[in-house]
Amino acid sequence: MKKSFAIGVIMLTCLLSTNRIDAETKDISAQITLANELYHEKNYQEAANIFTKLIDQGVKNGYLYYNLGNTYIRLGNISSSIVYYLRAKQLIPRNANLEANLRYAISQTQDQLFPPKKRLITDILFWIESINLIEHCIILFFTNIIFWLICIGSLYYRKPTWHSMKKVALTVLLIVFLSTLIKNHLLLNQKIGVVTDKIVAIKSDRNNKNITLFKLHEGAIILINEEDKEWLNVSVESEKTGWVAKNSIGY
Amino acid sequence: MKHKPWLVILTIIAFIFPPITSFSSNIQFSASVDKSHITTEDSIELSLKISGIRNPPKPELPALQDFTVRSIGTHSSTQIINSDMQVSTVYKYLLIPKNKGNYTIGPMSIILSGTIYKSDPISVVVNNSNTKKTNANREVYTETIISKNNPYINEQIVYTFKLFRKTEARNLNLSMPHDETFFQKEDLGKAKRYSKVIEGIAYDVDEISIALFPKKAGKSTIPPSMMELDLMYRSQLNRQRDPFARFFNDPFFSGNTKKIHKILSTKPIELTIRPLPKEGKPKGFKNLVGQYYITATVGKDHLDAGDTTTLTITVSGIGNVMDTSFTNLNIGNQFKVYPDQPIFTKTIHGNQIGGEKVFKFALVPFSTGQQAIPSVTLNYFDPDKKSYKKVSTNPINIEIKPATSNEHLNLIQPKGSPTQQSISSVSVLARDILPIHTQTQDFEIFMSVQNSHIIFIIGIIAPIVIYLLAAGYIRYNHHMNDDISFSRRQIAHSNAMKKLNLLSKLNPETKDFVRQLSQIIREYIGDKLNLQGSAFTSKEVEEKLNNNTFAQEKISAVKNLLEKCESMQYSPVTTHKDLNLIDETAELLINLEKQL
Repeated sequence: MKKSFAIGVIMLTCLLSTNRIDAETKDISAQITLANELYHEKNYQEAANIFTKLIDQGVKNGYLYYNLGNTYIRLGNISSSIVYYLRAKQLIPRNANLEANLRYAISQTQDQLFPPKKRLITDILFWIESINLIEHCIILFFTNIIFWLICIGSLYYRKPTWHSMKKVALTVLLIVFLSTLIKNHLLLNQKIGVVTDKIVAIKSDRNNKNITLFKLHEGAIILINEEDKEWLNVSVESEKTGWVAKNSIGY
Repeated sequence: MKHKPWLVILTIIAFIFPPITSFSSNIQFSASVDKSHITTEDSIELSLKISGIRNPPKPELPALQDFTVRSIGTHSSTQIINSDMQVSTVYKYLLIPKNKGNYTIGPMSIILSGTIYKSDPISVVVNNSNTKKTNANREVYTETIISKNNPYINEQIVYTFKLFRKTEARNLNLSMPHDETFFQKEDLGKAKRYSKVIEGIAYDVDEISIALFPKKAGKSTIPPSMMELDLMYRSQLNRQRDPFARFFNDPFFSGNTKKIHKILSTKPIELTIRPLPKEGKPKGFKNLVGQYYITATVGKDHLDAGDTTTLTITVSGIGNVMDTSFTNLNIGNQFKVYPDQPIFTKTIHGNQIGGEKVFKFALVPFSTGQQAIPSVTLNYFDPDKKSYKKVSTNPINIEIKPATSNEHLNLIQPKGSPTQQSISSVSVLARDILPIHTQTQDFEIFMSVQNSHIIFIIGIIAPIVIYLLAAGYIRYNHHMNDDISFSRRQIAHSNAMKKLNLLSKLNPETKDFVRQLSQIIREYIGDKLNLQGSAFTSKEVEEKLNNNTFAQEKISAVKNLLEKCESMQYSPVTTHKDLNLIDETAELLINLEKQL
């Protein structure tokens, strides 16, 4: 009796939870559809407001960022469009339209700086840039299941074929695991920012009285090396490094 | 002190062969040739011998403008005769005559330690090769054939060189020069080798062909082709009785082989290149000469507005297919055309060059509805029919559906007819971003992302837990199968309880009931202690349990129960009716199970 009651409670909770998620999904989808219609009606500011509101609510979706990037381009805000295109690229890295629009947005900037070049590790694990973290996790998820199923099979059948399969599966699992770790590390540590002011002076240290090393214009893509209160240590083309006020950079 | 043997050997070698040039008082320098009368097909081997000096410098050769000079190696020798060491070095050159005539070679000279040594001059006579003699019965001769002496401009002509030989030839080197201002050359594959009988004599024939495409009209000459080769003459020794004769007659053991260097030239060939006829020349003719075919296909014939489809035009045939181009591709103004780089694949048809050139164009329709790609025409000149011909593709219909998105795109517009060669003629009016994403289902991905970390952790940990459970179960099963005592121990209690359940349904007053009950207890103990059989007395059970350090209290309980069963079983009259015997046994087994 107690058991059936517990199962009933769990099922009811799941049902209510699913209904809640469904309702949220429908609401968000409706808002996105509305924003898209506003965009097509050239009411770009309203569309941007809806997209931004959804993002502020915690909706994290590559296509949403992409659409907001497009909307900002239409509004003439190139730096914000690049910020959102770069965010979208982390979630939908293989989207050709996104790549084309990002190139277009960069071409509209004065400095025309492209995202930092690949590192050696990303050259070796060549797929890492083309697969987002969620896809990495999904691949790891299934590779892990396959590996442990093969382990069970190997234990049950006790045949050399199963042992070989276990070794191959373990190798694949380790590669996927390593790739996922690196992807996560890159996302957490390799922060890319965009200059949002018309022109910013990159200083030699964290004070406006310091020497200006070089200047960047709106939309320039920079690599953020370090954060220190209101200042950011940024670099451009690996050799040019300096400090810039945090409020001048979007990321 | 021990002498190391390798050190001694090195010292001796260093003494005999010092690494510096050493001079002898008896230095001699001489020059010789292997033959002094040759034809223009032959060559002379010039040997310059320097004796009495080790490692001499290279001698100087005089200017030999009438010969092509080629170094063919150096030979050094050392002889020790009656403690007198003689060293000599021979430099060998191959002199290939350019023309007939009487020539004097030398004198050659060498400077050694400030002294000039000179050789005697050598006279050689070079005669014309006996070209008047028919080719028949000659050891080796060449022949060139041209497929047509009066071709049109851009008409393919095949120039074939043939080498006929009766003997083995090695180191073949063919030079087939052509006037690059007059002809464009294309290779026609590798050389062919076959046998042919001419006037009853078998020849080995090496044949190679090239395709020439005349570039301009007028008279032209294909210069002589030149073939250099070494003819190998093998002297047959009388080794009939020698079992190794066949083995040593192998070309690998070339000790009995005579090598003669030959240079064979062909005659120049006069050609008259005809211009293409002006009569009937179509407008926009691209100088294509040969036989041509053309086909056109599209990737998709139903597409949405804004989508692209690929128009593939394939031109194939024989002739200068590689020169095909579509500089004025006219398919109307209903499409925006993006040409791709054409791909040419060369093929050989018989002894003629041809191929296939594939042109790809990405088409973006400007408007919706039924659109037609008109036929594409290619004009060429057929030299066999001496007239201009035309081939065309079939028109292709395309259905363009209206776009689902109504975003306006400022795409580039073609200025006039687009072409693949003059992309620069397309002026970009404006550049714009690609449209927003409208597929609603793609925006729903975020929901799965919200609880992804929980699912992910479960996904990582759950298989490990399942594996551990499965591993325990599989190991238990394997243990049960492999270890009988373990298996008996594991199932002893459940078996005994099942049997007790069955027994409880029988009449407890019968002797058989008591016997079976006693048997269940004995079997249980036998399984638990891995004992063979179950025919042991209560006394024996006590001993076995004692050996396994059982609690005395439990041993007594088992013993008492078994004795009770035995007394009930073997007494002549059933005097005692104990209906709780089953429960008592079950309780005892549970207690024993806890300890076992």
